[in-house]
Amino acid sequence: MTELLIEQIINGIVAGSVYALVAAGMTMIFGVLRAINFAHGEYYMLGTFSAWYVITKLNISYPVAIFLAVIITMGIAVVIGRLVMQRLVTAPFQSGVLATLGLSLILQNLIIITFGGTYKIFPGGWLEPVFFGEISLAWQRIIIVLVTIGVFIALEFLVRRTRMGKAMRAVSQNTACCLVNGIDIERVVLGTFVLGGGLAALSGVLTGPINVTVYGGMGEAITLKTFAVIVMGGMGNVRGTLIAGWILGIAESFVAGFIGLQYRDAVGFVILIGMLMVRPTGFFSVQSRF
Amino acid sequence: MTANSTSLQAPGARVASRTTSRLMGLAILIALLGAPFVLDSYYLHAVIISMIFLLPAHGLNLIVGYMGMLSLAQGAFFGIGSYVSALAAMHFGTPFYVNFILAGMVTGLIALPLGIPALRLRTYSFVMCTLGLVVIGEAVAKNWVSLTRGDMGLSGVPQPVLGFGADPLTVTTITGYYYLYLAVAVLMTGLFYALVTSPAGRSMIAIRDNEIQAEALGIPTWNYKLVVFTISAAFAGFGGSLYAHYLTTVSPLTFQMFYSTTILIIVLGGGAGSIRGVVVGSIVFVAVSEALRISPEYRMVMYGLVLLLLVFWLPSGLTPLIDRGLAMLSGSRK
Repeated sequence: MTELLIEQIINGIVAGSVYALVAAGMTMIFGVLRAINFAHGEYYMLGTFSAWYVITKLNISYPVAIFLAVIITMGIAVVIGRLVMQRLVTAPFQSGVLATLGLSLILQNLIIITFGGTYKIFPGGWLEPVFFGEISLAWQRIIIVLVTIGVFIALEFLVRRTRMGKAMRAVSQNTACCLVNGIDIERVVLGTFVLGGGLAALSGVLTGPINVTVYGGMGEAITLKTFAVIVMGGMGNVRGTLIAGWILGIAESFVAGFIGLQYRDAVGFVILIGMLMVRPTGFFSVQSRF
Repeated sequence: MTANSTSLQAPGARVASRTTSRLMGLAILIALLGAPFVLDSYYLHAVIISMIFLLPAHGLNLIVGYMGMLSLAQGAFFGIGSYVSALAAMHFGTPFYVNFILAGMVTGLIALPLGIPALRLRTYSFVMCTLGLVVIGEAVAKNWVSLTRGDMGLSGVPQPVLGFGADPLTVTTITGYYYLYLAVAVLMTGLFYALVTSPAGRSMIAIRDNEIQAEALGIPTWNYKLVVFTISAAFAGFGGSLYAHYLTTVSPLTFQMFYSTTILIIVLGGGAGSIRGVVVGSIVFVAVSEALRISPEYRMVMYGLVLLLLVFWLPSGLTPLIDRGLAMLSGSRK
């Protein structure tokens, strides 16, 4: 029984790390842009698809594919950031919802049109198990958790200690003052957006070998779960996002293990609606962001 | 801005344009009545689908255009309405208009308790919450197998039966569907017009324009929001009923984002807060893409581009273009 419990918690932390990596970008974009990115899961999908493409069609090894996928996705994010996201700086909230919803439709369906709507198998990854007493764990899962922790330490450093991070915090607090102080808001928005897209892509490539299937609609489900994570973590709060991701992951894994697999995907939304009702500021933030 | 440009127009021009728009409306109605004599059945099918989507679009228009909120839950209520209507027809053999009214009423009754917590949220939280309702609706439709038969869905939903008795009139031909649904669409559009031009409709507009001021003027804003949410869900339920009896199958696929997105595109693309805009929107965005046999993927890409276009270049949708066209027509008449 205890082993089962520990296994569920570990699976939850692995799944939660994946959510947290995607959510980190979304929460930072919300911070600087005051816009929920409804297309954020699509960058996760683009990352997985680019890796799948370079591995199966160009015979590139998995470690190199990780870098290529992140770079390809960031390249797409630069174009979208310049064309769409930068224009949203002064736009009302409906514009943000509609524009990102539109982007999500375009990206998702262009991928389906280009590569077909069928499920594809993701090759590669480090799937050899490691044994800790009774519990076995694939290397890939350990790597996901370690990479996530590393990324969050780096993000914390970026936000707290660097000029870019200072500018990001300034933009999220008061855009008018940024203009007065000569902070280039559009550049900060673009930088944050591209970084967020890259993290979502990284998350996609790293989970590819575990999820095995690759398909055009895979980003949508992740977007929906990410909402629960960013609301729990407190919108714009990077540190809270990691803990919130783990909470969601563990909750899902418990529901899947003890109640029923078919209810797993509803957990995120029950948490989301509950949080919005009871504590919309999230667990870790004091100030309401809406 | 729009209000200014209208008030700047000469009074004569406005009267002329109103006559023109009435004449245009009449002409469109006559064209729609005569359509089955001209169009082949595939094009009639396209128009029928757009008339089905018109009803949930009216409902969403009430939320977006008259209350100023953005909801993605319309597809969920559309799905609930289709299940209610299908189940009533299959289990009790009730005639079409009973199923139709029941679908709207039950959907509204389901929406009412959902609206109480949801409407306390603002902007993004409300949008995310309405999206959550779609996901939960899909989970219920998939997992409540004893009622909904899960992923298999319900097939063999009866075609619309008009009237009771041993040998009631049943709609089976595409032309029959066309006239029945046209009658329903015209009736519901008339009801919607009566609603938004009533004092209640003006109160809604007041809430959209300035909620605090509306509250200060003694408009019970909370009650209005709840009633609007319920009515808009009921409209979606009515549409779902039409959909179930037309396709004769119902499945959890109705809860896919495709439906919510299509309804959203009709309203925003046509022009939120404008009845003629939404009617034109349902024809342009549903009937035309249906008639051109555009595959769902290409249609979604097109919808995505339309959304971007709307956000950055055409914030009021097609309505200003329609009005300009009408103004030109009335100008040439003078």
